[in-house]
Amino acid sequence: MIAFQLLINALALGAAYALVALGFVLILNATGAVNFAQGDLVMAGGYVAIALAPLLPVPALLLLPLVLLVMAVLGLLLSALAYFPLLARPPSAVFISTIAVGIVLQNGANAIFGAAPRAAPPLLGAGDLALGGIVLSRQSVAIIAVASLLVLVQHLIISRTQFGRALRATAQDREMARAIGIGANAMIAASFALGAALAGAAGLLLANQFFVTPTAGSDLVVKAYIAVAIGGWGSLWGAVAGALLIAVFEVGVSSVLSYTAAAAGLYAALLAILVIRPQGFFGEAAQRRA
Amino acid sequence: MALCLRSSRLAGIAIAMAWTSCIPLARAQAIDIPILVPLTGFLSLEGQSQRDGALLALTQAPGGIATRHRVFDTATSPEVAVNALEKALEDRPLAIVASMLGTQMLAMMPVAQDAKVPLVTISGTAKITALGNPWVFRFFPGDSVVKVAHARYVAEVLGKLHPAIIYQSDAYGQSGLEYLTKAFAARAVAPVLSEGVDVSVKDLLPVLSKARAAGADVIVAHLHAPSTALLVKQAASSGGPPIVAGSAMATPATAALLEPAELRGVCAETASAPNVPDTPAGERFLADYRAVYRSDPDTYALAQYDGTMMVLDAIAKGARTSEALRAALAGESFTGIAMRYKSDGTGDMAHSAMIVCYDGASRLPKVVRRYDDVDAPK
Amino acid sequence: MKRLRDRVTAWLGDGLNAPLLLGAFALAAYSLLAGSSYSLRLMSVAGVYALLTLGYQFIFGQAGALSLAQGTFFGCGAYVTGILGSQLGWGFSATFPLSLLAPVLLAGLVAAPVLRLESHYFALATLGIGQVMLLIAVHWQVVTGGANGLAGIPGIVLFGATLPRGLPLLATIWGIVAFAALFARLLTCGAWGLAFTVVREDPLAAAASGIDAAALRFAAFLLSALYAGAAGALYVHTILVVSPEVLEFPVMVAVLTMAVIGGRARIAGAILGAVLLVHLPEWLRFVGGTYLVAYGGALLFFIVLAPDGLVGAAELLLARLRPARPGVPPAAIALPPRVACAPVLAIDDLAKSFGGIAAVAGVSLSIAPGEIVGLIGPNGSGKTTLVNLVTGLYRPDRGAVRLGERALAGLPPAAIARAGIGRTFQNGNSLEAMSALDSVATARLAVGAALAFRRVLRPVASRRTLALARGEAMHCLELLGVAAVAMQRCRALPYGTRRRVEIARALALQPAVLLLDEPAAGLDGAEQDDLARRLGELAQGGIAILVIEHNMDFLMGLAQRIVCLDRGRVLAVGTPAAIRRDPDVLTAYLGAAPGQPA
Repeated sequence: MIAFQLLINALALGAAYALVALGFVLILNATGAVNFAQGDLVMAGGYVAIALAPLLPVPALLLLPLVLLVMAVLGLLLSALAYFPLLARPPSAVFISTIAVGIVLQNGANAIFGAAPRAAPPLLGAGDLALGGIVLSRQSVAIIAVASLLVLVQHLIISRTQFGRALRATAQDREMARAIGIGANAMIAASFALGAALAGAAGLLLANQFFVTPTAGSDLVVKAYIAVAIGGWGSLWGAVAGALLIAVFEVGVSSVLSYTAAAAGLYAALLAILVIRPQGFFGEAAQRRA
Repeated sequence: MALCLRSSRLAGIAIAMAWTSCIPLARAQAIDIPILVPLTGFLSLEGQSQRDGALLALTQAPGGIATRHRVFDTATSPEVAVNALEKALEDRPLAIVASMLGTQMLAMMPVAQDAKVPLVTISGTAKITALGNPWVFRFFPGDSVVKVAHARYVAEVLGKLHPAIIYQSDAYGQSGLEYLTKAFAARAVAPVLSEGVDVSVKDLLPVLSKARAAGADVIVAHLHAPSTALLVKQAASSGGPPIVAGSAMATPATAALLEPAELRGVCAETASAPNVPDTPAGERFLADYRAVYRSDPDTYALAQYDGTMMVLDAIAKGARTSEALRAALAGESFTGIAMRYKSDGTGDMAHSAMIVCYDGASRLPKVVRRYDDVDAPK
Repeated sequence: MKRLRDRVTAWLGDGLNAPLLLGAFALAAYSLLAGSSYSLRLMSVAGVYALLTLGYQFIFGQAGALSLAQGTFFGCGAYVTGILGSQLGWGFSATFPLSLLAPVLLAGLVAAPVLRLESHYFALATLGIGQVMLLIAVHWQVVTGGANGLAGIPGIVLFGATLPRGLPLLATIWGIVAFAALFARLLTCGAWGLAFTVVREDPLAAAASGIDAAALRFAAFLLSALYAGAAGALYVHTILVVSPEVLEFPVMVAVLTMAVIGGRARIAGAILGAVLLVHLPEWLRFVGGTYLVAYGGALLFFIVLAPDGLVGAAELLLARLRPARPGVPPAAIALPPRVACAPVLAIDDLAKSFGGIAAVAGVSLSIAPGEIVGLIGPNGSGKTTLVNLVTGLYRPDRGAVRLGERALAGLPPAAIARAGIGRTFQNGNSLEAMSALDSVATARLAVGAALAFRRVLRPVASRRTLALARGEAMHCLELLGVAAVAMQRCRALPYGTRRRVEIARALALQPAVLLLDEPAAGLDGAEQDDLARRLGELAQGGIAILVIEHNMDFLMGLAQRIVCLDRGRVLAVGTPAAIRRDPDVLTAYLGAAPGQPA
């Protein structure tokens, strides 16, 4: 019984991590740059939900499209401030610009909302579901459902639409995409919008059950980084799988051994994977020059 | 924008800035008491309470003392705290309201000793008063007090002999664990589980299920506000033994994260519960605090208010040098709103703690037990 | 007297110019005059970060690897001083060397599995090591003091007296910074500077030049750990406590930011970045509650304004104000004669598949000294793959490569290059700012022992070696007829010229075998003839040459023998004339129209 509850919790956490990792990898593919502000975008998404909630007293599920929209705009702003001015520059410049944006977001949230942890409204309403003796948190189930839906929608957009094809073409070879008439810069901006929107969704999902504080994002970007690395650099499904794996590993190890063992184990396992398989757990999706 | 203005923190900042802006006029005879607390980073919640309490006291200085106070953020590292301290020391302050982050205190103490300026803090880290530095004064009961009260309530009042200790795996938590373990050992209680939880951990079901599997009859928590709220929320949903938490659970910010029903039966140790005052002075403090910050004070705000008040009281009585002030703090006693403060010779001023519990009907706790003049088993 | 001057220039370099000296004096004057305990403290802390960032410039700036372990090495040094100083009461003279040693040992220990990882995996692995160290610091309470850390660490004791805080401590720290900066300069202004540039900007060219990138990266990793250890120890003596914050990620982020904002791979950049970033949040305190928002905004402003760092921007500005005249090329010095007799390159049953598709499926081939062999075949027939297998860029699935008696298959590419196999790439190198001369000289340095650590440490001798290498490089450029562009930057050269510079670079290895990938592409008729003549002369000198080429006319006059590949196999071998008539070749490669290959 408890094992099932633990599994649901792990999946809920993993689903939210997956959204973070997906956003991270979308921006990574489009720009080749690591967005260190990805975790802080998640945090920002949580606060956007909290700021909107008193204006629109509806369940968070109905708030979600609005949060996605606001966060997409924030993503565009991020690309305009921190990426496009550095377009033809060394990637290290983009590290620093995204780190700087992260500092602004964190301390901005601290100044506006204060340091106290805050909770966003629940997705569908609080409380538990009882299913034949198994008590499930309504919120956990809702997180899994909403995150799965978003991953699916994102997959359909990327794989089935003209827009998604243009996005993929840009990610694979920017010059080639330009040559065949794709507005590569527009596609990069769109990737930032999509990546930030997914981060915002994760923020909304996490901020009810797990609360949000201005510093909550710093841990998530590392999780996303690990998820993307073990999932195969550049692979979308790999990022989702990596995120779920991390959450199941953490909850699993911490329920049997301890949280410290889970944290140490995660990094030890990561190092072992990198030593044994230097190209990531599932192999690399991004192309390399040979 | 309406949303921003509603934030009490912004109001606090606005007040701080208004105060700092009138400094030049009063500079001549004003007494300088800078406030050096963490306002950014993971401890900014507690740091802001510290600042709010200290600022309120400085604006209510007795005996018509003109005070000047600047607020410095110490962030999260010892380095920034010492930088801020050196900056503050440039204007020869009479005393300093100092960070509750133990590692920052440890770094600031030698510098303050060289400069001969008293540090007035509410840091719980046991070590800061154990190093023989005569310039440190702690107005919050240390773990050697509150953890004894914590353990006594669990063992003696609740009669639970199989506690599971869940602590934050940081400086705050490790110190709490040490004193809880000692206090339980002195009462022949052997915890069935002790587990550290990092502040970034989100899912607390694993440790709760381990506690249940280990046969715990009570959960003794020693966690910061977010982890405490996560623990109580998870426990309310998955059931389990009752929770007696650390002082974070007694703060309004933590209670605000939970539904009253989720709080039913949850208890916490704390130095004071200023949002449920039981004296006229306490009620006045609550009203004043609400008027300025538009939110309820927590135990940290009150402790720092009391500490700052004792400093101001000593100044009003004539302690106009740092040395005179140090002597007054070390020798005199002071009746604050939360308790009576008197140094035990090491700079530890607070020796009382209490236990509060939530009844499940509201987010306001009730005081169920007081422990005065507690001393840790040495 | 002249010897002394040589020695001083060797140590200080001739690029140590007025602005840098002025900057150093400004810092010294500020420290002496500012006087307040607060500004002295900030400058001391800035000195510690300058030292840390100087070290980081080795692995991140010079070697170009995004290491996230610099903060970990820093924390490691800090904890060694903290633990030994406060728990055991050891003095500075014992704790300081050990604080330097411990991170270097740690770096050496993790280097083997970690350094071979590609960029992002390397970053993540170094991050993982840091997290494990942090967990140890927090949880091994008996030794580390747990999350609270350790207090009561003694100050620096020199000559029996404890160094007081303030100016003496600051002077000591900045004295060490100055020494460390000079040492870094000594290491990176000569042979290593060139080699690191190639490793960082074009790893493939580095391998083809015979540069042992792994060894250089290893050295850079250890050096960065050494500097970090020193910085950690000094940090603890400044702050007087050590706590897990020194191992946390913000320290790493700070160093990375300092290196990039100051100027990557620049010594002055490390110092400027550290001084600026330590002071910036303090300067911004006047803003009030949102001062860190302003700090983030300022960082963004700096990086957008100067993406190559402040020093990089200053250099750019200076170059615009006073365009540098190209230097005078050195006189050519003939290469020393190769001692070994010219061996035969023998390729035996070499095979390689990618994802189940055989790119090269059992090719055997040998080239004698003095022989020029053409390698043709349709696109995707495995020509370049074959060259990559021979030069070690790919590890063959089976088969052998022998140069004379020596088996080469399985050796690292740089070792194969040094063994006497030179090659060029289809696209040429991507070295941007390096001069044509230096790109060739680097290969000369790699062939000799000039890149060995103990050689680099001897500044006078090392400068002489560098001058010799440049002279010899000049000779190689002359052999290819491109001596006139010696002092121009590679990126400024026309395509055809760049290809010749590359051949000169391969020649600098004094190779027994040259493998040239489409050397005639982009050349007009006259240039092709000239190149063919020069290659012929090289072959007469005893070098075996393999030329991948689509241009049959170019090969006709040049090659004695042509090998045609198709789908990874040798389809035909013969004289150019015979190959032109070979029906198999015609169908597979030339299509229906004989004599007019694409």
